This record gives sequence, C-alpha cells and structure tokens, in this order.
Amino acid sequence: MRKSLKTAVILMLVLILGMISLVGCSNEAAKQEALEKETAQQEPAAQEDSFEKIKAKGKVVMGLDDTFAPMGFRDENNKIVGFDVDLAQEVFKRNDLELVLQPIDWTMKEAELNAGNIDMIWNAYTITEERKEKVAFTKPYLDNRQVIVTLEGSDVKSKSDLAGKKVAAQTGSSAVDAMNTEPELVKSFDGGEPVLFDTNNEAFMDLEAKRVDAVVADEVLARYYIKQKGADKYTILDEDFGDEEYGIGFRKQDKKLLEMVDKTLDDMRKDGSYDLIYEKWFGK
Amino acid sequence: MFEYILRLLPALLSGLEVTLKVFFLTLVISIPLGILVALGRLSKIKPLVFLVELYIWVMRGTPLLLQIVVIFFGLPIVGITFDRFPAAILAFVLNYAAYFGEIFRGGIESIDKGQYDAAKVLGFTPAKTFTRIILPQMIKIVLPSVANEVITLVKDTSLVYVVGLGELLRAGKIASNRDASLVPLIVVGVFYLALTAVLTAVFQKLEERYSYFQ
Repeated sequence: MRKSLKTAVILMLVLILGMISLVGCSNEAAKQEALEKETAQQEPAAQEDSFEKIKAKGKVVMGLDDTFAPMGFRDENNKIVGFDVDLAQEVFKRNDLELVLQPIDWTMKEAELNAGNIDMIWNAYTITEERKEKVAFTKPYLDNRQVIVTLEGSDVKSKSDLAGKKVAAQTGSSAVDAMNTEPELVKSFDGGEPVLFDTNNEAFMDLEAKRVDAVVADEVLARYYIKQKGADKYTILDEDFGDEEYGIGFRKQDKKLLEMVDKTLDDMRKDGSYDLIYEKWFGK
Repeated sequence: MFEYILRLLPALLSGLEVTLKVFFLTLVISIPLGILVALGRLSKIKPLVFLVELYIWVMRGTPLLLQIVVIFFGLPIVGITFDRFPAAILAFVLNYAAYFGEIFRGGIESIDKGQYDAAKVLGFTPAKTFTRIILPQMIKIVLPSVANEVITLVKDTSLVYVVGLGELLRAGKIASNRDASLVPLIVVGVFYLALTAVLTAVFQKLEERYSYFQ
C-alpha cells in the first residue's frame, strides 16, 4: 500500500516534470541552474540557522490563517489584524525587522514552514507533543481553556449536566481532543459523540438555533463570538475541559530567532505593552 | 443590512480579482494547449500518444486540489520552486488542458475523413487543412462542452486557497468568521451566479455566431 502510493507520487512528479519540459515552461539550462541553486540552498537549510539571512533581508515572514478571528483575520478594509498580529508587529518592530504577513492554509502550516515559505507559525498555535516533534516552540505566550458555552437560561449548569445533551465543536480542533480525554462523558452525550462542524461559527449558529445544547471551544474564540453576538445571550460554564497554551512555532534549527522572540515577549510583559494589547482584544 | 453588504464589498472585490485572474489566465493558456494535447493524442507517433494518454490519465484521474499541493509543496523537493500564484496557475493549466484536449479530440474526430481528401485535392497543406478547414468546424462542435468546462472552472478557482491565495470564497469565509454571520457567504454565492450568467450569455452569442448551417 505504502509502496504503491509512493510509486504513484513519483509517477505524478515525473509526469508533471515531463509536461513542464514539453510545454517549454523552462529550458534545460535554466532548469539545471534552478536545480543546482535549490540543492545548494536545501542542504544547509536543513541544519543552518536562518537568522543571518533574515537579518540581511530585514524581513521576517509570519504564516497565519487569515480566517481565524480574533487572533489573525481581515478587518473590513481587508487588512490583516488581530491579537497575534499586534503582538508580532510590536515584537519585530523592537528588533528592527519588517513583518510580512503571509496567509496560508492551516492544514499546510508545517509544510509551509519547512519549505521556507514562512519563517514562523503564529496564530493561536497550541503547543502539543505531536507538533513539538516537527517544530520548535517558544515559551507559551497565552493561556487558553476549552470552555463550555450554553445559551442563557439553559438547564446545563455543569459538566455532568451534559449527559443526554447534544454538544457541538469544530472538527479537528483541540476542543475535540480535550473532550476525548473524558470518554465516559462523551459517551453520555446525545448521540454518543460530539456534533462536529467545519468552523466554530457554524457550531455557535447551531447553538443559537437550539439544535445543540452546548458548544465546546477555545476560550479566546468563544469570548470573541459572544462579544459579536451579545454577551447576554450566552453563558460560559465555570467548569471546562482543561487548559492549554499557545506558542509560536519555528523551524527546529532557527534557535536564534526563537530566543529573540522569547526575550522580546518577556520584555513586553514587564513593561506592560503585552497587557495593553491583551486588553484591546479580550478586555480585562 | 444593505449597509453591511456595502461594507463587505471591498474585501470581496479584492477576492474576486484573484478569482478572475486565475480564471482568465487558465483559460487563455489551457485552450491553445488543449489543441496541442488533442493533436498529440491523434498523432501517428506512438510514444507521443502514449505520453499524452498518460498525462490525461493523471490529470483527470487525481483531484485538482492534490495537483496544486504537489506542484507547490512537492516540486521543491526535486528542485523546482514556484511562487504561490504561478504554482496555482500551472496546476490549473495542466489540469484544464487535459480536459480541453479530450473535448477537442472528440471535435476533430467527428469531422468527416472525406474533407481531408478534398482538401488534399484542392492543394491544401496538412497545416492549412487543419487551421482553415478542420479547426473552424471543430470549434462549432465543441462549444457547448467547452462552455460546461469554463463554468466549472469559475467554481474550481476557489481551490487556490490551499496555497494561501485569497480568492472570492476565502474572502467570504473570513468575513463570515469575523462577523459571525452567513450573509457574506450568500453575497459570494451571488457573485458566482453573476459570473456564470455573463459566461452563459457569452457562449450563447458564440453559438449563434457559429450556427451558420441553420
């Protein structure tokens, strides 16, 4: 199975290559040159710290999912804004680097990082053991909880009240992982599993339509939606599905850049500029 | 509500710009390429026929989304690196040229063999025979099928999100997530419908122009 998959991928690459030369998109010499350049680049890129290269360019590229309010998203003027964006702007301003914001598809984030298209992943990126194997994380810069949100006046007051109720969450989110750490509780839900939606937005709309009784989501996201829809409509339960932390992901060899960001974030916590940005997006 | 939609427009229009760029570039490059693919497939050179058939099989046999991912993320491994936009265009062109190639092949094959003999008798070179006699008739035959593909292409452009390009549907999703509302997605739907309406009208006009036997 594995082998045939590999053969298929190689076959496809060969074909595409064949087509490119057939169409004449690149002549032989240019291709050869590109190949040499690439291998020359790729070899050291595997181990070498790219800090000097970034310094020389004066620019650092941050990869983010621009659909992810309130951490990184587009405002009505199509400008990318958000808590993470403000924080990153300040960090790199202090280090005389220009910040380039590159929207990426979230499922491709590690591929983008390791291909060198972006220099970091900074977008409510939860620190997990699996991800630690692929990327180097900074110290946590923001705490997050997996909170339970209900409609105001709901009879769900605690976690145990969720038994026999319909509970919604986003597919592939850490909310689902957090719930699955309590399999007994999940089995007691109406349907025996959470109702999964493509986005949190849809989960919240389903809650509003009263087709589900509760939504489990990142606290930062949940608070943002509640603010958008009116705080009096929803309740966040005191009990939650556990804590987690957001970090910034770098290529494993980029230690200098990582240390620089960690140090600047520490400075910003001390001088209060971190709190100012926090209050701007999440209130007190 | 009306005011809200007005405020959505700038972001959606800049998404529309990307969508239209992908659409037109793909069309302009893949249609001539499709003719070459058709000719390759009908060629008498066996290895060329085999290669073209293999190419068509791969392009039609795998999801376009996968092809974009392979070209943008896979090709750098073997030393060929494209920027986001060129990578997306390359994937679209290769994919659509395969479909167009098969449509054109059908068109060319449906023309009576006697016309080639007639052209020969009249002293046309093979190249002239193709451009002056076969091609115009082929266009007439394939127009409805091409219209189908072109309309599919409008909606397929939304796949470029995978390399981080902000096209129309993505712009709508961003606004939808930001404002916790379905309205932006509905506006996006109206945009696509309007595009399709224009294209349908254009192809209707083209078909009228080519309906010279009626």
